[in-house]
Amino acid sequence: MGAVGLQTHIWANNTRSVILLVTFPILLIGIIYGIQLILMGLGVLPGTGKALSDDMALAASWLGGTIPLALGVAAIWFAIAYFGSQTMVDMLTGARKVERRTEPELYNLLENLAISRGLRTPTLRIIDNDSLNAFATGLHEGQYSITLTRGLVQSLSRDEIEAVMAHELTHVINKDVRTMVIASIFAGIISVLAELVFRALLYSGGGRRRDDNKNALPLILIGVAFAVVGFVLAIVIRMMLSRTREYVADAGAVELTKNPDAMISALRKVEGRSSVKGPDELQQLFLDNQPDGVGLEGLFASHPPIQKRIDALVKFGGGRDPGAWSGEPSPYGGTSVPLAG
Amino acid sequence: MITWIIIGIVVLVLLFIVVGGYNKLVALDQRADQSFADIDVQLKQRQDLIPNLVETVKGYATHERGTLDAVTQARAAAAGATSVNDKVQAENMLTGALGRLFAVSEAYPDLKANTNFQQLSAELSDIENKLAAARRFFNSAVGEFNAVRRQFPTVLFAGLFGFGSDKPFFDVGEGDRAAMNAAPPQVKF
Repeated sequence: MGAVGLQTHIWANNTRSVILLVTFPILLIGIIYGIQLILMGLGVLPGTGKALSDDMALAASWLGGTIPLALGVAAIWFAIAYFGSQTMVDMLTGARKVERRTEPELYNLLENLAISRGLRTPTLRIIDNDSLNAFATGLHEGQYSITLTRGLVQSLSRDEIEAVMAHELTHVINKDVRTMVIASIFAGIISVLAELVFRALLYSGGGRRRDDNKNALPLILIGVAFAVVGFVLAIVIRMMLSRTREYVADAGAVELTKNPDAMISALRKVEGRSSVKGPDELQQLFLDNQPDGVGLEGLFASHPPIQKRIDALVKFGGGRDPGAWSGEPSPYGGTSVPLAG
Repeated sequence: MITWIIIGIVVLVLLFIVVGGYNKLVALDQRADQSFADIDVQLKQRQDLIPNLVETVKGYATHERGTLDAVTQARAAAAGATSVNDKVQAENMLTGALGRLFAVSEAYPDLKANTNFQQLSAELSDIENKLAAARRFFNSAVGEFNAVRRQFPTVLFAGLFGFGSDKPFFDVGEGDRAAMNAAPPQVKF
C-alpha cells in the first residue's frame, strides 16, 4: 500500500529505513566472503585444490566462524565510536548554548514544541554563521541538542523557525542521530575492510609467495567484485537511509506544527544558502546539505533535493509551494524573533 | 503434512494482513480524533472570548442588537454541540455571525479605536489562523483514514471492526459561506 497521507508517508519511510539498516550486516557478510575468496586466491588460506565451485563452497563454510568474529570486532568498534561521536560533534561545531534569558522567544518556541510531545526540552544552541542551516545532535535523553545558525534565525519568520525546530525535534524523537551514527559506523567498518583488501592486493601483486591455488585469478576477481559492490552499496545505503529520515522529519514537522506552508517556505529560504562546513558525520545531520555536483551525486547525497522534499510536503501534507524565494528579507527579520505574527 | 503446513502459512499470512491493517486503521482513527481535539481547543478559546467581545461592542454599537444576539445564540449553540457534525455546523454559524459583527463594527469609529476591541479582534484573528491550520490538518488526517479504509485489502474487513464508514470532514459549509458574503458591511450615518 502506497502513501496516501502524512502518516502513511511516515510509515512507508520508516519501513524503508528498517530494510536499509538490515542490509548493513548482509553487506558485511558479503565483504567478509569476498575477503576470504581473495585470501584463498592469494594462497594465504588453503584451497581445496579442486574446481572453483568447491573452493567457493569451502570459503562459504568458513563464514560460520568468521561472522561471529567479525560481529565481535564490530561490537567493540561500535562501543568506542558510539561514545566518541558526541564529544566529536560538540568539539567541531563551536556552537554556543542559548538560555531562556538571552533568547526568550526562540527558547519558548522550542519549549512549547517539546512540551506538546512530552519531551524534556533539548539544549538550544546557536552558531554565529551567516548560512541558513540547523541540526540535531545527541544520542541519549539529556544529551539532545538542537542547533540553529544565526543566519537562519535572522532570515526566517517565526512560523518558519518553528517548522525548522519541529523538523529537528522529529529527528530527536525518532532517534535519527543514533540511527545515522550506527549507519556511519557500519559504513566505516566496511570501508576499512575494503581498504585492507586493496592494500593486500597491491602488496601481493608483484610476486606471490605460495601460488598453489589453480583458481587464483577467478577467486581474486570474484572476491574483489564482492568487496567493491559491498563498499559502494554501503555508502549508497547509508545516504539513502539519511534521505529517508529527512522525509520523515519534514512530515513530522508538519505533524507538530500543523503548518505545512511554514516548512515549505523555510525550505525555500534555506535552498542554496545552507552550506556549513563540517565533517561527513555532521553534514548528514543538517537541515539541508547538497552535494556540489549533479548527476550521479544524487545517489551519494545525504539529503533529498529541496524540490523533492517540497513535492512530498505538498502531496502528503497538503501544503502550498510559493516557489523559489526571491531573497527579500522577511517581515520579521532582525536580531530576534518577534512573538506576534 | 505438507498441505497442513501450507494451510498454516496461508492462515498466518492472512492473520498478519488483518492485524496489520486493523492496527493501521486504529492508529489513523486515533490520530484524526486527536487532531479534532486540537480544533476543539481553539474553538473553546474562541467561545471564551465572545462574551467579552459582545459586551465591548454593546457599549458602542447600540443599534446592532440583532447582530449581537445572533453571535450570542451561535456561541450558545456551539458550546452545546457534542457530535462532530453538530460542532462543525454550530461553529460555521458562529464564524458567519462573527464575520457580520466585525463587518458592522466598521461603522463605529469609536468602537474601532477601543483598545479592548482591538486586542480582542487581534486575538480572534490569531485564533482563526490557528483554527484554519488545525482544520487543514484534521481534514488531511480524515482523508488519510478514509483512503486507507477504502484501500484493498483493508476494505474487506474494515466493516467488521467498526470502521465501516468514512469519517466526516470539517467543511466550511457552502451555505454559511453564502451567508457571510450576503452580509456586506453596512455603513450607517
